[in-house]
Formats: sequence, C-alpha cells, structure tokens
Amino acid sequence: MNTNDMSEKRKFVRLTKSQRIQHAILFTSTGLLILTGFMLQGEQWVIEMFGSAGDTIFWWRSLIHRIAGVAVTIICLYHILYVTFTKEGRSWLKDMFPRWRDLIDVFQNVGYMLGLRKARPKMDRFTYLEKLEYFSVWFGMFIVITTGIMMWTEYLWPKFYLDVADAFHLGEATLAALAIIVGHIFAVHYNPHVYPMNRAFIDGYIKEDMMKEEHPLWYERETAKNEQ
Amino acid sequence: MELIIFRGVRNIVDIAPPSDVCLRNNRPDVCAPYLLGVLIFMFLLVFLLPAASVASDDENCLMCHKMPGLGRYAKGENQNAVKRILYVNEELFKASYHGRLRCKSCHQGVDEIPHTDAEKVDCASDCHIQDPSSNSEFSHRAIVHDLSMSAHGAKQVKNGQVEDLPNCKYCHSNKPYQRSDTDHQESMKFLNICLQCHESKEWAERFFKHINYRASTRRSSKQVVELCGQCHADRVMMDNHDLDVVVGFNDTFHGKAIRYGDAEVANCLNCHAPYQSGFSPHSILSQRQSTSPVSNENKIETCRQSGCHTEAKEEFATSGKIHPSSFTTVQMMSRNTLNRPGEADPDSEFQEWVLHMISLFYKTLIIVVVGGLALHQILDLLAIRRERKLREG
Repeated sequence: MNTNDMSEKRKFVRLTKSQRIQHAILFTSTGLLILTGFMLQGEQWVIEMFGSAGDTIFWWRSLIHRIAGVAVTIICLYHILYVTFTKEGRSWLKDMFPRWRDLIDVFQNVGYMLGLRKARPKMDRFTYLEKLEYFSVWFGMFIVITTGIMMWTEYLWPKFYLDVADAFHLGEATLAALAIIVGHIFAVHYNPHVYPMNRAFIDGYIKEDMMKEEHPLWYERETAKNEQ
Repeated sequence: MELIIFRGVRNIVDIAPPSDVCLRNNRPDVCAPYLLGVLIFMFLLVFLLPAASVASDDENCLMCHKMPGLGRYAKGENQNAVKRILYVNEELFKASYHGRLRCKSCHQGVDEIPHTDAEKVDCASDCHIQDPSSNSEFSHRAIVHDLSMSAHGAKQVKNGQVEDLPNCKYCHSNKPYQRSDTDHQESMKFLNICLQCHESKEWAERFFKHINYRASTRRSSKQVVELCGQCHADRVMMDNHDLDVVVGFNDTFHGKAIRYGDAEVANCLNCHAPYQSGFSPHSILSQRQSTSPVSNENKIETCRQSGCHTEAKEEFATSGKIHPSSFTTVQMMSRNTLNRPGEADPDSEFQEWVLHMISLFYKTLIIVVVGGLALHQILDLLAIRRERKLREG
C-alpha cells in the first residue's frame, strides 16, 4: 500500500512505556498460567502423550504455575500503586472509569452495527468494551489471586473452603481464558484497521485515522490540547 | 538322543493343541481328545527320559510341568471352559518370591497322578521353610488373619457375597518385582557391599533381594488406584455391598498428579493404610470404625503424616470430602459423579449445593459474556465491511 500515507499521518501515544511493560508481564504470566493450569483438566489421552516424562512435566507445571502466579500478583499490586500515585496512572484510571455515557454508547453502537443508526456514537479514550475488559481483569484477578493463595496455603483451611476456592479458581480461569481469546485477541488484534496485529502494545502508538474513527472524543481533546 | 526326542516333543506340543481354535470356538469337547493324546504322550515320555536330566527339584514336579503347552480345560463360570496352564517356567519360578519353596509346600495333597487329591492352595498353611527369626515353620497365617479381620474380610460382608472379596492372589500376582533395568543394576551394585563379608554369592543375593524388594513399593501409585478401582469404582458391586462408589478420585488434585505419574502424592494406600503410622494394606478398616486412619477422629493425623500436609490445622479435615466428589471443580468439565442414594448428610448436601451453584454461576456467565463478546465482534466486522462497501461503491 501507500507508504507515503504512513509518514504523513500523525501518531499519538496510546500506551506509555510503563503500561507496555505492565501489559507484557501480564500477558506472559497469564498465558503461562492458563497453559499450566488447564494441564490439570486434560483428559487421560492428553496426559498419556507425555508418557514417562509425565512426572517431570507435572513438577515443572506446578513450579511454573506458582512462579507465574507470583508474577501476576506483583504486577497487579504494582498496578494499584501505579493508578494511585502516578500522574499517568491517575489519568488512566480517570478515563477508564465507567460513566452513564458508556451505557448510551452501548445502545447506540449496537444500533449502528445492526443498521438502525446512521453513525457510530462518539467514543472517548476508552470504549465501553475496553472498560469492561479492564475491570474484568480487576475482578477476575481478585478472585484467582485470593483463591490461588488459599489453595497454596491449603493447610490453613477446611477442605470444603478449598473446594469452594477450587471451583471459583477454575470457573474464573475458564471465563478469563475464553474472554481473552474472544473479547481481547479478536476485538483488539483481529480488527480490520490493524490486522494482523495491533502494534500499540509494542510501540505504544495509535495512528491518527484509527484514533479519529474509534476514539473521536479523545482525538478532539488531544488535538485541542496540542493547538493551545 | 534325549535331546532329539525332547525337541520333538516340544514341536508337537507347540503345534499340537489347536488351543486358539478351541478357545475361539469355545468347543472344549472337540479339542479334549486331541489334548488328551498329547498328555498321554507326555506321560509316556516320563519313562523315556532319565529323571536326572529333567530338573533338579527333588519332588520331580518339573518332570512334567516343564513342558510348555501342558494344560487342560476346566469348568469355569457359566459352563464356559477356562484354559488352565499347568506349565511352570523353572527360570521364572526360581526368580519369584517363592522360588526357594518346594511345590508341595503350597500344593498340598498331589501324591497321586493324575492329581485328583490336590487341595486348594491356602496361604495360611505352614510352608516347611524355617523362619530364621523364630526357628519355627514359616506361614502367612498372621497376614491372612489380619485380612480376615479387615474391611476386606469375610466377617465384614453383610450380604454374604464373599466371592467379591479380594483374596491374596488378587493383589499379589507373584510377578517378579517390576522396575527399570537401570534401577536394578544400580541396586545390584550395592550387593558388593554384602559380599565383602558374606562369602556365598547365592545366599547374599537372596537375602539382598528379600530386603530390597520389600523396601520398595510393589506398585506405582497409578497401579494402586487401578487395582483398588477394579472393585471400588464398580457401581454395581459397590451398591451390592452398600458402599460409596469411588469415582471422583481421579478428578481430585491427588488423582490428577498420580495420572501424570507423580510418585509423592497420596494414593489410596497412603490414607487408608498409611505405613508411616503403622497401618498395613492387609488391615484396612471402614472409615466408620474409630481405629481406622480415615475415621473422623484419626483423619487429621493421617493428613499430617510426614511429607504431606504436616502443618494442617484441625479444621483441615473437618469438612468436605476427598472422594467421591460429586461436585468439585470437575463439574465445569461436565463430568459428574453420584453419591449413594439415601445416605447424604445435610452438611454435605449443602456443600454440594454451594459448589454446584458456583459452577452454574460460571457456566451462565461464560455463555453470556463470551457469547455476547463473540456476537458483538461479528456484528462489528459486518458493520466495518458495510462501511468499506459504501466507501468503495
């Protein structure tokens, strides 16, 4: 396609360096957690494929799951500090916070997609879908970390509590894994604007045309700020 | 000359009984005369071969029983013929646990040929080998007594179905100890230490093996679970004996680790007969008996055994079930197990309800959220396609 187009267009910062590092740690450890976690749900024939190495694989599985669990806990705690104490983080949380406007956006956007409305609603820095995903991570992480710690310190709890923790841990993990595939990887990366990959998580930039289209309110704010 | 005759017999025996054909068609009546002929021929052979060249056993049983193919059809269940192999491989027998015993130590009677006077093998009989610790005749009587007093003993069976009970052979198939060749070579190196003082290699090896075999576990955890499961996972049999079916074990964390081959995690015996606390697999008791390691009183100490949940708090063992688990996480994967009908206490009913609700909550949430996201994504892609067409057209 036309390479001149690219250079002429302005780029805006979508993710700062800190946010990209947080994202990288989050997706690496979550990926490992999902993989090593669901190894426990494997059917007999899957386990039989490992053969006599199964014992060693199981040992590594358990170790990696715990290391990745610790990594995810640390990054979540860091994120809480980040959104509380840094300017960047506070602005992130402020823009991320759900508003009434988001509910209206949902109806208007669905209406547009069904062909009932002429134009998409004007959305801000974070769309309703992004807000839902972000707070799902908060909610989900709270559950898996709490139940994960319970199961790690199994000797402190009655067996029934551990069964409850186990049920929540698996339920939340299944929900999260599927939501990440459908809601995040597909919606963010399998998007015609950026296909095959949204590069924002690597270089942190969003292109002007995409920003105009998907986050018009934010674009207006940013350009107004720049013009001042 | 002898060798040639012997080889000839072997060939005849090898090709002679169309045993597969007999078995496949289940027609022992057709094959019986044929087999009988072979047997008579072999019987005559006894007079053809000098005894000394056949076997070194002083009872001379191997004279006949060393012949491969020696066997007969016996009446089994439902009038079906069962093939009994009467051939004894001397080499394998000598290497087995009972390799030093005389045949008649276990097979009592057998003074006549054919052996119409043979008695059923009883592991509690004296076996004419001296126990060096007491200088009396060795016997498994004490173990047989333990087993009869345990949950697997005939006294515990209320409905009289004793044939379901495991006998000695059910677990002790008397196979040579199984383990990898490298392990075997490593342990045999240790024998050299014995040989520094003890002159007779044969003697030292026998005692070394005796101790070594008993110091290692005979079955892997996976094999233990399979062995116990042959009866305890059989719903019909357990219903007959008014017992819980154990089906949830493979879905517990212990069960999952065992399926991967983990040797450190608890298998059936580690809780029901924890050797660390002095229990033996021969005296497994019902959990309703207060002396059982899994009774409500002793459970916590069993959990706390060394290498396991050593720091477990009292409450650890007070609620929840290890198995059968009709609930736990496995419901997410649509596997379910059932409790014995009519005997669920309100506590565990409530617990099952709670766990069921959690899994139902997540199933619903997954369908709504993931389905919603997928639908949203499809609509979005369709909308973008429409936009493109508009722009181009």
